[in-house]
Amino acid sequence: MNPTAGLKVLSLPFDHETTDVLIGSYLSHDAAQDDYRAALACGAYLHGAIVVAKDVTGKVTVEQSDHMAREMAQGLGTLGFLTGLMVLPLVPLTTGFGAVMGGLLGEGLHLLTETKVKGQAATMIPLGCAALIIAYPHSSADAVEPVVTRALSKARGEAQGHHLQALRGALAVAQKEMAAGQT
Amino acid sequence: MTEPDRTTLPLSAPEFAGTANHSLRGSEPDWNLIRQPDPPEGAPNVLLVLIDDAGFGNPSTFGGPIQTPNYTRLAEGGLRYNRFHVTALCSPTRAALLTARNNHAVGFGSIGEFSSGFPGYTAMLPPECAPLPRILRDNGYSTAAFGKWHLTPDGQQGPAGPLGRWPNGWGFDYFYGFLGGDSGQWDPCLAENQKIIGTPAEYYDEQHPYYLPDAMADKTIEWLHGVRGQDARKPFFAYFATGCSHAPHHVAAQWADRYKGQFDQGWDRLREEVFERQKQLGVVPTDAELTPRDDAFPAWDDVPPRLQALYARQMEVYAGFSENADHNVGRVIDAIEELGELGNTLVIWIWGDNGASMEGTITGSFNEMTMQNGIPLTDEMQLQLAERYGGSESWGGPIMDPHYAAAWAWAGNTPFQWGKQVGSHLGGTRNPMVIHWPERILDPGGLRSQFTHVTDVGATILDVAGIPAPSRVDGVEQEPLHGVTFADSLLDATAPERHTQQYFETIGNRAMYKDGWWLAMRTPRIPWVVTPEALRPYAPDVWDPDADPAELYYLPDDFSQARDLAADHPQRVQELKDLFWQEAERYKVLPLLATLSAFFGIIPPLEATDKIEYRGDVQNVAPGMIPRIYNRSYTISADLLVPREGAEGVIVAEADHLGGFSLFVDDGRLTHTYSMMGVFVYRQQADTPLPTGEVTVRMEFAADAAKPATGGQVTLYVNDAPVGGGRMDHTVPMRFSAYAGMDIGRDNGAVVDLSYADRQPFAFTGTIRKVVFDVKAHPSAGDERAVHTVAHHGHAAHGLSA
Repeated sequence: MNPTAGLKVLSLPFDHETTDVLIGSYLSHDAAQDDYRAALACGAYLHGAIVVAKDVTGKVTVEQSDHMAREMAQGLGTLGFLTGLMVLPLVPLTTGFGAVMGGLLGEGLHLLTETKVKGQAATMIPLGCAALIIAYPHSSADAVEPVVTRALSKARGEAQGHHLQALRGALAVAQKEMAAGQT
Repeated sequence: MTEPDRTTLPLSAPEFAGTANHSLRGSEPDWNLIRQPDPPEGAPNVLLVLIDDAGFGNPSTFGGPIQTPNYTRLAEGGLRYNRFHVTALCSPTRAALLTARNNHAVGFGSIGEFSSGFPGYTAMLPPECAPLPRILRDNGYSTAAFGKWHLTPDGQQGPAGPLGRWPNGWGFDYFYGFLGGDSGQWDPCLAENQKIIGTPAEYYDEQHPYYLPDAMADKTIEWLHGVRGQDARKPFFAYFATGCSHAPHHVAAQWADRYKGQFDQGWDRLREEVFERQKQLGVVPTDAELTPRDDAFPAWDDVPPRLQALYARQMEVYAGFSENADHNVGRVIDAIEELGELGNTLVIWIWGDNGASMEGTITGSFNEMTMQNGIPLTDEMQLQLAERYGGSESWGGPIMDPHYAAAWAWAGNTPFQWGKQVGSHLGGTRNPMVIHWPERILDPGGLRSQFTHVTDVGATILDVAGIPAPSRVDGVEQEPLHGVTFADSLLDATAPERHTQQYFETIGNRAMYKDGWWLAMRTPRIPWVVTPEALRPYAPDVWDPDADPAELYYLPDDFSQARDLAADHPQRVQELKDLFWQEAERYKVLPLLATLSAFFGIIPPLEATDKIEYRGDVQNVAPGMIPRIYNRSYTISADLLVPREGAEGVIVAEADHLGGFSLFVDDGRLTHTYSMMGVFVYRQQADTPLPTGEVTVRMEFAADAAKPATGGQVTLYVNDAPVGGGRMDHTVPMRFSAYAGMDIGRDNGAVVDLSYADRQPFAFTGTIRKVVFDVKAHPSAGDERAVHTVAHHGHAAHGLSA
């Protein structure tokens, strides 16, 4: 199947639109790809989608929709999509892990790790992990979000404005939400 | 020659019956002086086979779905025993098997790695309980053990020993296998006699990869041939204890693929199918009932299809793994037959040292050690981690250390309730046994239903060999055997039942059997859950064991424990409760829950945490003996000589990519990789190349706090100058690996950092003068005690699943 077969491309301009960004984190590249393909096949309009994975040897792979490539070419690449990945996928595991392990001593790890994770601006995707970022008009949300089923944590941001401004804002919100450990 | 007094061992040398004059003139030799001990006339060879972590409903010989043609072949030429009982845990059953005494009485209330300060839980075989191989060896047998041992305390598994609790110390002339509770089958860290020999060189042969079950059979056959090459008549005692089917479930895909699609119906339906076959075979009475599924296990129909596919593959691999074990035992039996000795070889083959293991939790795991380290992973996380390491098709291969979902174990224990660890119920304690002895068994293919127990095996072997249980060994008066012979039943299906009373206890789950009645008292904790919430009800000031729910079964009428009669027989319940306490006191079972004592603050004195130095040629340090770096700050430093052309390779590495660390040089740069059970993998690399000449490198880990799995900061140094580093947000709290060892100068077996897997073992090309671990005690005594406690939680958690 052509993973971009369902991708619909609308004509621009992007003034005064509401844009959503969804970030998903994964422990495997396969899982991220499953959601990536599901998003592309869902029939809704997407600004773009990108999967970034690092295998257990450290090799990084990036897969992105054709449309995302066009967006990048228009300057979106400078937004630094990868910065949204820096806390992934630690948060969901941290919470569960802390509940049990920390509990052995009657303490919780999650407070510690959340704090530390927030401070790790330079951290890239951990070995063996993957992340998915999807950007789409808010009107596509009802179609896109339900098909992202395998993410261990999901964070969603929403912002209004000119296309680039809205995208940047939505990404910032999603990153902030992800860092806070909300799923 | 007169028959020696075999009640005292070693057998005393005969008095000199010749003449010794001042010179050879007139002197007469006595050649009896240089004879080796003779076994009793007609003493048979003995092959004792023990399969690991398997259930009553696993082998096809007993109606299970796993094809076991060799087991069936022996059953059809021998006898099936369908009321044979074990303890519900690995080491305890092995200790009882090899001593013919109750496991607590010989210090094995728990596993070998767990030594407690209570007499029944020391893991220290008392000198008053000389074991079976020692007795047989001293009476003229050649003895050897192959495969899993699990009876040597963790802290004694190195060259400094003491070695008395290694297999040779128990009386085996030869040992080839692993000392711990489980092993990778592709990359085991092996011991041979009194040395850890590590991962065999054949591991690196891609054309003919090493596989432990094959090697066990090869070594056994080689040993048999060697014995016979030297002595055509001396009886042998071979103990063949497979690592299968304990996790990690490792087997080649072609074995697993034989079961493609055979478990797609799920565990609920599988139990029904097995139960029907068990009735048809007659190993389960026709009036038996299939016990229902406990709510702890999910219904198969409630499992999402995506997970069903993974779960089905888990069982396919387990089945293939088990069939392979049957195949390799068959090879040993073929070799005995080829020697012409199968007729007078007593083969006792027990399918499971306890019921099938539920320790894979609800989901199963890509890495068996995640449960032991208390890492909760959801089904989706498990699925993704399996995908990370190759997906379902790699399940069973070297890249994972997998364990199947708990409900498969429950199905493997059909028709009973529960499984391993649950000493109160037959799912944990009743396992198949087949006995084959063509020269003596008169009704091949027969079924025996006498109540028998693992302690009876040793007593029976001694009985048929004509060897009395010794009353004194090495000058020490001996504890009588607790097991009783069932030799009569080999000849007579109606032989009286001699074992009429038996206690059971594993991790607080307990039972009292007497004259057909079985009192079951199960602690309500789910076996694979060791969270604080789950353990809190068992705290010393909280738990009242007599208040645990009591179930009562009458086994002659209720084979599967399906009909609880406790409400109808309160008086009998009380009698059996009272009897249990008497037996518990007599056999050192008390205090109950000693296995969990570490969780309640009962821990040994603080151990010193200091510098440990290794020279450059140290390899295969057992996983339980590596420096206790867990949950602490620590430094690893190394003095190197780097040649002019530079160097690469491993400086020090523990375990593998599913949990471990490696400090190495790659692409000219000092690198540190740390795998938190294969879930998180951290890597830090120096910014600058390693200089040549005499170089000191150092990796410092500064723990955030005295907490389990603490995060912290890694800093790399070369010649005391920082060259790189990074954070590790999670570290391993308890144990990296159940079996993989630590090496200086190379990374034996499966490697820690898969980026150098193609260069394994990636030996260091310079010279390592020494590697020093400096484990820092936490400044606060309270913190240090807390970390010390966690270390013992790790032992206890390991004890729940080994």
